[in-house]
Amino acid sequence: MKSDNFWRYATLAPAVILFVLLTILPLFNLLALSFHDVEWLNREAVWEWVGARNYARLPEDTLFNAGILNTIIFAVLAVAFQMVLGFWLALMTTRVTRLRVFYRAVFILPILVPGIIIGAIWKLMYSYDFGVINQTIMFLGGNPVDWLGNPNLSLMSVIIVDVWHWTPFCFLLMLASLESLPTDIFEAAEIDGATKGQVLRHIILPLMMPAIIVTFIFRMILAFKVFDEIYLLTGGGPGTSTEVISFTIYRRFFTEDQSGYGSAMSLATIAVIATLIILASRFATKKGPEA
Amino acid sequence: MTEYTRTGPLLRHAVLIGFALVVLFPFAWIVMASFKTQIALLMGQWRFEPTLFSYDSVINGKTSDFVTNFKNSSIIAISSTSIVLTVATLAAFSLYRLQWADWVLRVLLAWSVIFHMVPPITLAGAWYTMFRSVGLDNTYAGIILAHTTINLPMALWMMGVFIRDVPKELVEAAQIDGAKTPKVLRYVVIPIVRPGLAATGILCFIFSWNEFPVALTLSQRATATVPLGIGKYAQENTIAYTEMAAASTLSIVPAFILLIVAQRFIVRGLTSGAVK
Amino acid sequence: MTKKHLLGERLRFASLLAGTAMAAALAAPVLAEEAPITIVINQSPWFPGFQSVVELYEETTGNTVELDVNPFAGSLEKQRTAVRTDESPFDLLIMNAGFFVEFYKGGFMDALTDIDPEFKLSDEIYDFDESVCWDATAETVTCGGDGKLTAIPVNPNILIMHYRADLYEENGLEVPKTWDELMANAQVLNDQPKIYGISQRGQRGAFDVTYDVFPYIWSHGGGIFKDQKAGDFTITINSPETLAGMETYLKLASEVGHPSTAGQTQTNVIQNMATGKAAHIQSVLAPGLFDDPNQSAVVGNVNYAATPASKDFPAATPLGHWLAGVPKNVPDDRKAAALAFLTWFQTPEAQEAYARAGSAPVSRAVMEGPMSETEEFRWMKALSEAIPTAGLTFLIPEASQVLAVTELRFNEAIGGQLELKEALNTAAKEIAKIMTDAGYDAPMLDELK
Repeated sequence: MKSDNFWRYATLAPAVILFVLLTILPLFNLLALSFHDVEWLNREAVWEWVGARNYARLPEDTLFNAGILNTIIFAVLAVAFQMVLGFWLALMTTRVTRLRVFYRAVFILPILVPGIIIGAIWKLMYSYDFGVINQTIMFLGGNPVDWLGNPNLSLMSVIIVDVWHWTPFCFLLMLASLESLPTDIFEAAEIDGATKGQVLRHIILPLMMPAIIVTFIFRMILAFKVFDEIYLLTGGGPGTSTEVISFTIYRRFFTEDQSGYGSAMSLATIAVIATLIILASRFATKKGPEA
Repeated sequence: MTEYTRTGPLLRHAVLIGFALVVLFPFAWIVMASFKTQIALLMGQWRFEPTLFSYDSVINGKTSDFVTNFKNSSIIAISSTSIVLTVATLAAFSLYRLQWADWVLRVLLAWSVIFHMVPPITLAGAWYTMFRSVGLDNTYAGIILAHTTINLPMALWMMGVFIRDVPKELVEAAQIDGAKTPKVLRYVVIPIVRPGLAATGILCFIFSWNEFPVALTLSQRATATVPLGIGKYAQENTIAYTEMAAASTLSIVPAFILLIVAQRFIVRGLTSGAVK
Repeated sequence: MTKKHLLGERLRFASLLAGTAMAAALAAPVLAEEAPITIVINQSPWFPGFQSVVELYEETTGNTVELDVNPFAGSLEKQRTAVRTDESPFDLLIMNAGFFVEFYKGGFMDALTDIDPEFKLSDEIYDFDESVCWDATAETVTCGGDGKLTAIPVNPNILIMHYRADLYEENGLEVPKTWDELMANAQVLNDQPKIYGISQRGQRGAFDVTYDVFPYIWSHGGGIFKDQKAGDFTITINSPETLAGMETYLKLASEVGHPSTAGQTQTNVIQNMATGKAAHIQSVLAPGLFDDPNQSAVVGNVNYAATPASKDFPAATPLGHWLAGVPKNVPDDRKAAALAFLTWFQTPEAQEAYARAGSAPVSRAVMEGPMSETEEFRWMKALSEAIPTAGLTFLIPEASQVLAVTELRFNEAIGGQLELKEALNTAAKEIAKIMTDAGYDAPMLDELK
């Protein structure tokens, strides 16, 4: 059935216009920068063409290597946890009638808190000397734990904070998706005598797959961009144990004002995320994200 | 009532309440911190004399612009969320239900997701230059446009998911009946995607409300947003924790109210009994 | 010191302000003579004091000064964007010791004497290792030669030693002049886990652990480069002298320090002092913080001294001060107005009001004057003793690249992830690469074995 052409264009136009006006220039600027070194002399920016040298520098950069590796570990563990937990909590919440509104509201609360506060507050809670976590451990007769200063624990401590902060993202979308599922299918399945596990595996999960994939993609991207909560928690240390890639990019691109090199790093990171997401999506479904 | 897991209702509540406590604890801790003095907080005191000092300092303090920040954030977050929801819903509907060629769909979705991967810090400078050349720096419009663009990829993909739940036959039937696109959207699509719309809206609102680097670059004192105000409490060598806690408690309130209101739209399952 | 006392002091100050304003108002109708200006600044513990002074200026002159206050993490962003555009929205930039060289060297700042040849740095105002002047031909910081006055200091952030005066008295200790004496005192007071002999700032950040180790390595004759001012970029971070300084640092950390030194920021260090967990800290000064009962459990018990020396070298402390400068891309009338403010800011009255409002001033006259004899302003003596020993840490725009290396390697040495000599050797190699790539002649020393 053909709908009339005016509305066909009119509905898509605003999004296309926004993208053309506000994303093409910055992205091409980033691409161009990545092949240049920029220096400021007498208030003028001097662009020097350096070819692929900025990209060639990446593998030798201690912080970049640590940043990519840590971020992959961080993102995979944190997001996996959040997806499972978020889905499960959503499922549980739809299955109770009493207190339902309360649960929904509470489980969403943490994403309302700005990242900078998450970092500051958890830093205090993790504090070696007076933190509430060590207070509890000592009250129970244990020894204080150096949550953020011990390089073997620090990344895990950061992941715990991220799970607390971002599980609501998955919960919210899983919940919305669950609530949009058509009801008659379940009744039919029930009449056919399907077990609960079968209904979950063969009906709910496949129906929710598009929502699960999109949630996963965006959660993954956000995990790669994690910045402010870790900034106050550990600043990337001790050593490079919690150096995440957005820190490295921020430092190289902005603090050190190496915008060329920093752009190359951003684009290389984008390639890494894209690869990860495509691999994961292929793994989840043969149809790919546009299914 | 259909049961999909073996856990009985009581056990289920026990688990859910357990999780609720885990979630609420740090939260309660922030609220408690906002009523403490800095030293009581640092020493982890549980018994303390509550003080309104931090709230007073945040709301009335000479060096605080919190009230202005609050107004700015409300304007920016509400506007950008409304715009992004409208734009994304229209575009998603168009892409999935108005017979666009496959490549259009793929190019747009791929481009938007790649754009979403770009670190915001690398965008802020380019946008500042662009906005300044057309006089949009230090204006609401500039920040609203920026936030709309930042949230558009996520909104587009999510609305895409929800719109695909709208049966094609329903849309086609309405079109055969002679309904124009606005009517189809209004009476067929929107009622079905309401939970998705609410969830997406909540997320876009929160992201706009909490966004830091782009708002920092595009604003000045008169247009500064809440996160910039809160960020000021993390200073060079000290963190004014209690004021930060007070400011964040205040900052969370409107988002929370919005959440409760939006909940009503998500709660469709309650009446339709989807998976009760 | 009691709360009441502080309050009284504040009331007196308020009435002084009101009095001045009223006198000015009665004397003549105050008319603005200058264009309104905007200052971009970051929120900090000393900002409220600066704001009071700005208000005093507005009241006495009728001129308008708008303050664009930013989070610390955002102030460099704002300033960089402003100077790189066609016209800066800000007429005065408040630049940190960590990044002002970038603004000088990029040609963004106007020499104050080019705006008005009559303009001067008052004799009473510190020049902070000549960082107020820039020689564009030699591309270095100097007030001699072709150096021109380019900024006025607004805050004297440097590391000074804080110690628990009450515990010193109880145990009959003397204020330490050398690291050995500090070690001995810290050993007496160290009683872990109740109290740490010293709390150090070993965390990796933008300029954290490196800033903290400077007093140690400088006072042992070490450093990162041999002589930046003279253009000698020989890398000395793996010299025996730097090693000796770092060994002193690590000895304190392991014997009397915090168990998690590698995870401590300046914020933690200050907190350790405020909560009574540390007997000594090296910290930038936060006047009044430790005497405020809402922020401190050790009110009246903290005293201050310059950082210690070693047997062979004098004490030295790194500058983290703030400078006010005028960017080139603002209109002339606003440049003149900015200068008018800076002229007024240097006056003894402004400086004294600044100190009374809770910030450390930049005037030698105030810092060594009668105020320094009072209990409330007892920090002034330590500060005025330390400022002449304070040096600039970096004079190159590549500073933050070098810092990325030193922050990581020092932190790894403190956390025990790298052996100290290996950490210093690695850092030297990495710094040499950065410097050579940037076109400097930066020879290396022999590796430490």
